[in-house]
Order: sequence, then C-alpha cells, then structure tokens
Amino acid sequence: MRTLCGWLCLAMLGLTAGCSGQANSARDTLILGAYTVPKEVYQRELIPRFQKLWKQKTGRDIYFQQSYLASGAQSRAIAQGFDADIAALSLEADIERLRDARLITHDWRAAEHRGFITRSVVVMLVRPGNPKNISGWDDLTRADVDVIYPSPKTSGGAMWVVNAIYGSRLKQTEKDTGSADPAAARRFLAAVQSRVRVMNKSGRASVTTFETGVGDVLLTYENEALLRRQQGKDFSLIVPDATILIENPVAVVDKNVDRHGSREAAEAFVGFLHSAEAQRCFASYGFRPVNAEVTGEFAAVFPQPPQLFDIDYLGGWQQTIDLLYSSRGVWTRIFEQKSN
Amino acid sequence: MLSNRASAGLRPASAMVMRAIFLFFVGLLVVLPVVAISLEAFRSGFGSLWKQISHPQALAALWLTLRMAMIMVVINVVTGTATAWVLVRNRVPLRGLINALVDIPFAIPTVVTGMMLVVLYGPHSVLGALLGRHGVEVVFSRPGIVLALLFVTFPFVVRAVQPVMMEMEGDMEEAASTLGAGRMRTFFQVVLPTLLPAILSGAALSFSRALGEFGSIIIVAGNIPMRTQVASVYIYGEIESGNPGGAMGLSVVLLVISLLTLLVLNLLQQRSQRHAATI
Repeated sequence: MRTLCGWLCLAMLGLTAGCSGQANSARDTLILGAYTVPKEVYQRELIPRFQKLWKQKTGRDIYFQQSYLASGAQSRAIAQGFDADIAALSLEADIERLRDARLITHDWRAAEHRGFITRSVVVMLVRPGNPKNISGWDDLTRADVDVIYPSPKTSGGAMWVVNAIYGSRLKQTEKDTGSADPAAARRFLAAVQSRVRVMNKSGRASVTTFETGVGDVLLTYENEALLRRQQGKDFSLIVPDATILIENPVAVVDKNVDRHGSREAAEAFVGFLHSAEAQRCFASYGFRPVNAEVTGEFAAVFPQPPQLFDIDYLGGWQQTIDLLYSSRGVWTRIFEQKSN
Repeated sequence: MLSNRASAGLRPASAMVMRAIFLFFVGLLVVLPVVAISLEAFRSGFGSLWKQISHPQALAALWLTLRMAMIMVVINVVTGTATAWVLVRNRVPLRGLINALVDIPFAIPTVVTGMMLVVLYGPHSVLGALLGRHGVEVVFSRPGIVLALLFVTFPFVVRAVQPVMMEMEGDMEEAASTLGAGRMRTFFQVVLPTLLPAILSGAALSFSRALGEFGSIIIVAGNIPMRTQVASVYIYGEIESGNPGGAMGLSVVLLVISLLTLLVLNLLQQRSQRHAATI
C-alpha cells in the first residue's frame, strides 16, 4: 500500500513538473489547430524551420502545441473553446465559423494570397497500371468501377470531391451546349454516388480502405495522393481535365492570441507560411504553392488542368453548402430518390 | 433478498448513508446526462424534433440498426447459451482460458474490432477473397455489421446464463429423467424455463448495447445512407456537419427503445421471481 502511494506521488510530481515546463515564461508558446492533411509537413519541416528563424530573430525558443483534427471538427473545437492561436483549416467555411463566433475579428481575406497558404486539386487515384482504364469523370459511372470517397457529412475533403464531381459536369454541359445544366450535374452526381460502396469518416480513412483492396478509384486531394506515392505506395494518379481548385486558408485567432499575448509570434508564423521557403516545403509535400515564384519552380510537378474551376464557379461556399449538403440539398436527396 | 439481508445487518444510519451515496452517483452518472440529452432534444419543440426523426435517412438508419440488432440477438442467444453450457457442464481442455477469453470483447477497443474484421474479411485476405468469389460480401455490407455486433456483445448472454446454470447442478434434470422425461422434453420443459429469465436478460443487454455501437461499425459498414448507415453513424454525421438537432432526435429514440427494453426485462424478471416464490 505504501509503495502504491509512493508511485502515485511520483506520478503526480512528474505531471506537475511536465506542466510547469510548458508554462515556462522564458519560452514562447503557440497553439496550432490544424486539419489533418498537412500534419507531416508542419511537423517535419515548417515548425522546425520556424523555430530556428524565431531563435535567430528574437533569441527566444518557441514551443508548439499541435492539434490535428478533421477540418470541421477542428473548427468546431476552436469555436467551442479550444484556445488555438492559429487556425489552419481545409476550407473557408471553417474559418468563417470562427469569425461568426467572434474569435477572428480581422479581415483574414485581406492578408497575402487572400488568406490562403496552399492549393490543391481533386484527383483520381487508381490501381497500379490503371487496369480498369479510367481516364476521366465519365468512367466513374461504369458498372464495373467501384468508387471511394469519404462522407461529406464528416469530411471537408469529401465536400471538395463532391463539388468537383458536380462542378465538372456543369463545366462539361457549358462546353457542349453553351450553358451549365444543373439537372444534368445532379443526375451525374447521383450516378457516381451509386458506384460508391464505402464512405469513411475522413480522407485518411478512405485511403486506408482503398489500400485494403476495396474500390477501383479513390477520389482525393492531389497532395494526399502525392504523399502516398512518396511513401512508396504504388498507385497511378489521374488529374481530370475539369476539376476544382482547392484553396486552404490560415488565420490568426485574434481572441486567443490577445489572451495569450502571443500575437507577435502567431503573425510571424503565418507570415512565414507565405514565404518562399515555407511554400517550397509545402510544394515538396504535394501541395500546390500560392506564391508565384515557387509556383513557377514547380510548374512541371503540378500540371494545370484545362478546365480548372474554383468554388466561386459554384456560387461560393455558403451557397454550395445550401445547394448540395443541407437537409434538402442535392447530395443529401440522392439517397432518398434512389430508395424509391 | 441479498440486499435486504445486507442492509438489515447495517445500522439504520449507515444504511441511509449508503442509500444516499447510491442515489447521488446514479443521479450524477446516469440520470443527469440522460435528462440533459432529452431536454436538449425537446428544446426546439416537439414538432422540430419529429421533423429531425422523420428525415428519411434517419428513419432508414434506425430501421437498419433495429434489424441488425435483432439478428445479432437471435444468434447471440443460441451461441451464448451453448457457450455457457459447455463452460459449465463439459470438461473441455483449457476451460479456464476459454472462460477468460469470453470477456475479451469488453477489453478490445471497438475500433480495433472493426479493423480486425476488415483485415479478416477484406478483399485482400484469403477468407475475404474466397467469399468474394462466391459473391458474398461481408465487410462494408450488412453481414459485417452483424459480425461486429456479435463480437462486441458476445459476453452478455454467456455471463448472464452461466451463474444460473451453475446453480442448477443437474439435479432437476436427473429428477426429470427419473420421472421418465426424454432428453428433449427435459430440455424444453425443465432446463429452458429455468434459464429463460437469464437468457432474456443477456439478450436485452446485448440489444441495448448494439443500438449504440459506433466504433466498430463505422469501420466495418459501408456507411452509405439508406443502405448501410446505422443510427450511431448517422448521429455522428449530423454532429460533424453542424446539425446537433438531428443527432439529438435520433439519440432520444435510441434512448427510449433501450429504456423500454430494459424495463420490460425487469418486469419479466420480477414476474418470474414472484412465480418462483409461490412454488
């Protein structure tokens, strides 16, 4: 019994020592609330590089507390009180939630590169050598092709995917007939959705499912696909002619940095993310850079799809969410019509 | 009976304290969260709650959950009772180890259960490939859901039936066979009625547990709305997509079904106890 008490005391001591270590005022601390996809590049490149820069510039050490969650979940966590200094999320709507909660009070879109730090496009990942001979969107409705993407209910990445499917057909009809046809886009989305057997909760989980051998095509971010290939996974990558340009925002969370007194460091870090050095790191991890100079350097790695469109083509995020994902939205209703 | 004896042994004051502590913890740990969920669900009125529950995807998810849980319960009742029988009556080798293994599903994180099933029955595995060639889909389909539920709830029926079986000790069956009853008749008229309350208790617990199961199912099922999406996964999706109202609606329905199941079970048990007492 006495030894047990001893162990407990020891454990408590260890805990308090650990806590006081973090609260050490000689060190600056930043809390980063990010989505899961760029986790590797933050941990292996960006944070170590910034720590070195900060030390050179100020002579102080800077310590990062990092949290990586699905973009929507991270955004909600911050809105409900997780005191992140910096929010790096997958889509504008998740940053806007923080503005609605009055946590971000500045105009984040007025920043460099309109507040975005990385870009990507929705691509198709197929089995090595492309055995099902998939070349574009139309192949996804074939009866012998199984498609995988996560659920837009839980994954920001899946929203980008569904936007790409829907928008690509709008583009197609616009090209063929001169005007975009929402009814055709809806039918096409329903046809692709009917080829989906598994909807995981996140993009990462979908990749895992794809790796267990399920499905012929995985729809995902280009950077996710490139990262998997870097890790030695043997997939073929197809960039469709018409696809959506993904832009990922970052913003300083005003209320939290003012409370922590960490505004200077937080703004320096966000500034660093826009720098050519950081942009090169992003690019080498498969993200399309926003910096013009670095974009030029990596032009060969990231082909420009001829019919690239962005979220504004669909009317912006708010309208897209209402149109596709609300309880009466186009995507939501696909399932109800099919069951009849 | 046991509790009566125990509390009679205590002084009234300490019995009061015990009761107060008991009520406090049940209130704090069970009643309070349940009431909070129910209040939250009804906050925006019964009409909007009904609208959330009657959403086609919510109803389909609920219906699928109930059907999968029922199938699981039927299988579990048979296999669980048989397992308990073997553990109590047969001299199987390594009985102690097998007995300990029964509780393993409680210790394994359900996410791991899901992963394990995908690895076992996925298209890359020998078993999965074999089944796939015969057109049988297990994972990302309904059989996967039932398998996950079976694994997660396996201990309930075994552990409910086992103690009752140990008390029976075979003398009633001996008496029955001495009086000329055949083995079938002995089983159905003597053994089964004695075990029935315990079997029902195990069945009700596993049913309730299955209604809320999430971790294994989100991995094993395809999660396609109206086809392979169960209630808990629907609820998770509603929370994640910023519609807590939809999540609360279906949660309350699951809660009510669970409560009714356990209530009916309690009534049945009380009746059978009274019945036993009058004999």
